[in-house]
Amino acid sequence: MTWQSFFNTSTMASRHLLAVYAIVILVQAGYFGWTVWQWQSLKDRD
Amino acid sequence: MSAAKPIRPMQLFGFSWFAVTLVVLILGFRSAIFIVPADAQQGDVGRSFFYHVPHSMWSLLFPYINFAASLAFLYWRHRNPLKALTADALAVASAEVTVVYATICLATGSVWGKAAWGIWWTWDPRITSMLLLWLLYVAYLITRKLSSAGQTSTLGAVLSIFAAVDVPIVYMSIRWWRTQHPAPVFGGGADSGVDPSMMPAFIWNVIGWGMWGIFILCYRFALERRRQIAEQDAALRALESSLELTQ
Repeated sequence: MTWQSFFNTSTMASRHLLAVYAIVILVQAGYFGWTVWQWQSLKDRD
Repeated sequence: MSAAKPIRPMQLFGFSWFAVTLVVLILGFRSAIFIVPADAQQGDVGRSFFYHVPHSMWSLLFPYINFAASLAFLYWRHRNPLKALTADALAVASAEVTVVYATICLATGSVWGKAAWGIWWTWDPRITSMLLLWLLYVAYLITRKLSSAGQTSTLGAVLSIFAAVDVPIVYMSIRWWRTQHPAPVFGGGADSGVDPSMMPAFIWNVIGWGMWGIFILCYRFALERRRQIAEQDAALRALESSLELTQ
């Protein structure tokens, strides 16, 4: 597989593979970002 | 001009762990996408395996941290309240990480299922018991959020003991009942296992997502401890000011 075929959304299979990666990145980065934001908010209150 | 704060050993260890985790995850991505050949039956969508399975595995391990921390909280809550608070912080952090990993497991499984089986969802024992696990830990976090102060940790700890019962059921479901979900890939008897060409990508991703989970768990735990300390300080200040008023 290449970068081009990874981002190729012409077939259902490649769209779904891309969606799997997007879910992983969004959920993990979202939770990490929320934790960092909470950490900073608490730091600003101190 | 203020002097820059020196980096503490724990911070340095945290940054190093974070950096190594990112390197392992990049190696896992490279291996899963560019090196492993496409699955003979499923084609490229079969690469979902390298993300779905490691997240599923870790989503069954983090609940045990929550379980152990909850038991420790119940044991210490009258004997040693400071240790109990620390255990409670670990319990809430591990419950959140469990929800994150279980969410990814369910969502990626659904997307993969649509491509591989033609359906988004089925009430298969493995998938249903995993959904139940997710619901139990979401309920745990909601209970903690909504319960009145003073009862939050105890209610949560009791609920977490019931939630942990579902973990072995999820694990055993594909061994007890054979339905839509594939048979166990590992530890499922003579027919289980994957092609040797898939193993490096799989191992990189299991280690990488495990390291990431431990990193985020420790970070969330540290945040919860800071919040507890801030709340204690605020309560102490309020008590001091009320005493000054009465004098």
